[in-house]
Amino acid sequence: MKLAYKDLIKFLGEKPSRELLSKRLFQLGHEHEIHGDIFDMELTPNRGDCLSLNGLARDLNVFFGRSEAVDIYEDIIDVLKIDFENLAPSDCPKISFLEIEIDKTIDDYKPYLENYLSAIGNKKTNLFTDISNYISYELGQPTHCFDRNAINNKLVFENKECNSTFKTLLGSDVVLKDHNCVFTQNSEIISLAGVMGGASTACSVKTRKVLIECAYFNPESIIGKSIKYNLISDAAHRFERGVDMESQEMVLRRFAKVVQDHAEIKSIKLKSFRSSNSPKISIPKNISKINKILGTNLKEIECLSCLRDLGFNISNDIEVPSHRHDIRTNNDLAEEVARVIGYNNIKNTPINLKKIIDDKSGCKVTQLESLLVNNGFSEVINFPFTSKNDKRSISIDNPLDSNRNYFRTSLMESLVNNLLYNERRQKDSIKLFEISDIYSKGSEINQQKKLGLIVSGRLGNNFNDFTKKLDKNYLNRILDNYLSEGIFKIIEISRNSLDTKKKDKIFYVEISLDDINALENQINKEKTINFISYKPVSEYPSSTRDFSFSIDDMSKVHKVINELEKVSENIIKNSYIFDFYKNEKTKIVKLGCRFIFQSNHKTLSDIEINAKVQEILNPLLIMDGVSIPGMDINKPFK
Amino acid sequence: MSNLDNINPPVIINEPGTLHPINQTKDYLLKLLSEMGFTEVYGPEIETEEFNFDMLNIKKSHPARQMHDTFYAESKKNVLRTHTSPVQIRSMLKSKPPIAFTSAGKVYRKDDDATHLPMFHQVEGIYVDENITFANLKDLIHKILYELFGNDVEIRFRPSYFPFTEPSAEVDILSDSGKWLEILGCGIVNPIVLDNCSIDSNKYSGLAFGLGVERIAMLKYGVNDIREFYKSNLDFLTQFK
Repeated sequence: MKLAYKDLIKFLGEKPSRELLSKRLFQLGHEHEIHGDIFDMELTPNRGDCLSLNGLARDLNVFFGRSEAVDIYEDIIDVLKIDFENLAPSDCPKISFLEIEIDKTIDDYKPYLENYLSAIGNKKTNLFTDISNYISYELGQPTHCFDRNAINNKLVFENKECNSTFKTLLGSDVVLKDHNCVFTQNSEIISLAGVMGGASTACSVKTRKVLIECAYFNPESIIGKSIKYNLISDAAHRFERGVDMESQEMVLRRFAKVVQDHAEIKSIKLKSFRSSNSPKISIPKNISKINKILGTNLKEIECLSCLRDLGFNISNDIEVPSHRHDIRTNNDLAEEVARVIGYNNIKNTPINLKKIIDDKSGCKVTQLESLLVNNGFSEVINFPFTSKNDKRSISIDNPLDSNRNYFRTSLMESLVNNLLYNERRQKDSIKLFEISDIYSKGSEINQQKKLGLIVSGRLGNNFNDFTKKLDKNYLNRILDNYLSEGIFKIIEISRNSLDTKKKDKIFYVEISLDDINALENQINKEKTINFISYKPVSEYPSSTRDFSFSIDDMSKVHKVINELEKVSENIIKNSYIFDFYKNEKTKIVKLGCRFIFQSNHKTLSDIEINAKVQEILNPLLIMDGVSIPGMDINKPFK
Repeated sequence: MSNLDNINPPVIINEPGTLHPINQTKDYLLKLLSEMGFTEVYGPEIETEEFNFDMLNIKKSHPARQMHDTFYAESKKNVLRTHTSPVQIRSMLKSKPPIAFTSAGKVYRKDDDATHLPMFHQVEGIYVDENITFANLKDLIHKILYELFGNDVEIRFRPSYFPFTEPSAEVDILSDSGKWLEILGCGIVNPIVLDNCSIDSNKYSGLAFGLGVERIAMLKYGVNDIREFYKSNLDFLTQFK
């Protein structure tokens, strides 16, 4: 809800600065952002009563007092004769109608109405609709304006089974389904109650005679309708959170006053229908209970003063005002008192809980994690939604993606996707694992913790492993030492059905942790966390350059290795020695080195990469006995 | 002997892999809370409406129960839990105060945009005993946040609304840029919830709090986009050693 600072302070006794007002709003629990003169409020769903200038001012009264900012139409109003029937009084226990006729149509508004429209960013539509919106902004109670000339027959409020198209006053066609609270005339739906009126009875700039409906709708009768029908409705937002059942006549008198500010009223008539009274809530006065909840030692006079300033009536009991639907218990009252004195002003009191030695290092999940991490596996976490299903799959009724409307029963699909994702990003040695609960249905819902691990590509990037591949033997070597025979089965996943041109074999293992009693050998690794400073991942492509050094001066070999291992440049993502060979016959050592270049800011050009390569290699190639066959240090590198 | 024999190959360093940063952060929080006296309890991600909503005083009309906010499963027989609080409900039903539990894990909400994901992680704590007060809650939350962000961190409590706590609060910390950042939600356990769990609310009271693991991880590691955690990109994951 957006509101203008200058409008809000009109409702307050004192005129606080924006900063002080903001501080007090936060203290009361009214989160907001400030954009110039506008306070963009984000109110909690229990505080529908604060969705207006008047509502917030009622809360802010505890700090700044109130100002009688609202004039109402004080004259006697004739009783309206209206043919109306309420067929659903439990959905609408209170409704009032005001009929007003003015002498002429109005184009020019008073400054307060004009300023409201421009400050909040609302478009000018017609006098009655604009006043309706303004009244909602001021007082929090939505009203709906019917063009009186379009209401020629009996008006009925009902909660009826619908299967028809309804044209809203904004011109959109909505197909109403199931039960909805509606206003009808001759069985035709003319308003989706509490949400939006219809086009057939809407006011226009030419309307001079209007029927204003002002109701209390049960929040549960309205909730979800605006989202169901994709209608953005300020009225629905307010009705869903609850309006004040006792405010309708006052609101309509305020409406009449604003009309009177703009035009001469030729006739005015009012009629209210009530099927039940708003419940009167009283809570026995119990200050010691409030102190017990808060951990404070407040005096009775302090507590009662807080509550009185918030509009509670204090007698033998504490009477809750009709607009506060959220107050029922002493815990609610304790929160009210705490809001006024300030949560941050309540003194902390320590509790004495005994420290627990919760050593998880021996548990099988921790042990498996350590085993895999020690062997170079990285853990992933995947969303559980999938298109794949079988008779055990649990279906999602309302998935985000209609193609992924099942809960996965295996980790394999997710891990294969993770592998392909990384292959597309030029990763050539991939070892991933995931440990997650998996759910399936039988006579009841079954829960099983599973480990999935997947490997493909090179065994490693060092000179020993570079030409070897991750395979079944590799997985067997890791798992055999720790898991009993028969617990795991390594499967090869065919690439035929996968969207990839890679040829490396993919191997996968899935193990139910229920099948593991304990790891056969313990892995000692204490889990510690190091909150590193993360570097954003580049979205730009990488480029690889391989170089083969030939070294015939043995005194230079370690120098070259040391220099290559030290290479660290902004645009080098990784570098490693992938080949090392001592030729006994020729007495030459061959070193293969790979540099992977990538920038965080752009796609690197060959010129930029080659310049960097030359900068790294030149100090090495000027050494006697060190060369890269085919490369001349004196010529620019291409 | 050839002088080649004196040449040693480059040292092979087997780079370890990494645990996922979200699990690392979750485990860190759980360890921190266990050192404060909380015991971890476990429960399912696929829940009933009774445990996920009703027992927690979340009324049928509450917006969170709508199809656009909560994932329902198996023709509305179940929900994907929207918080880890039902784990605490299940545990309270089996225990007698004093109790101090943490529950952690995946939770699901029907969101998917730049700042919200359909699945994320929570760590929640609950402590029920005689005479537990809001002042106790404040002290505990201060201690947790001092452990997480250092003793100099500036902390702000402000009133909020959760159906299962009353009074309720959201807690912010002041960032280096001078902006308040929301860190966690907490409150005094609503007596209705205690009664639902057959705990005498006239005798006992409780405090409860919940932290978003992604939120803490983003702040501690400096990750700006929550979606990075779930791309499974090795360039991202291997940084968290």
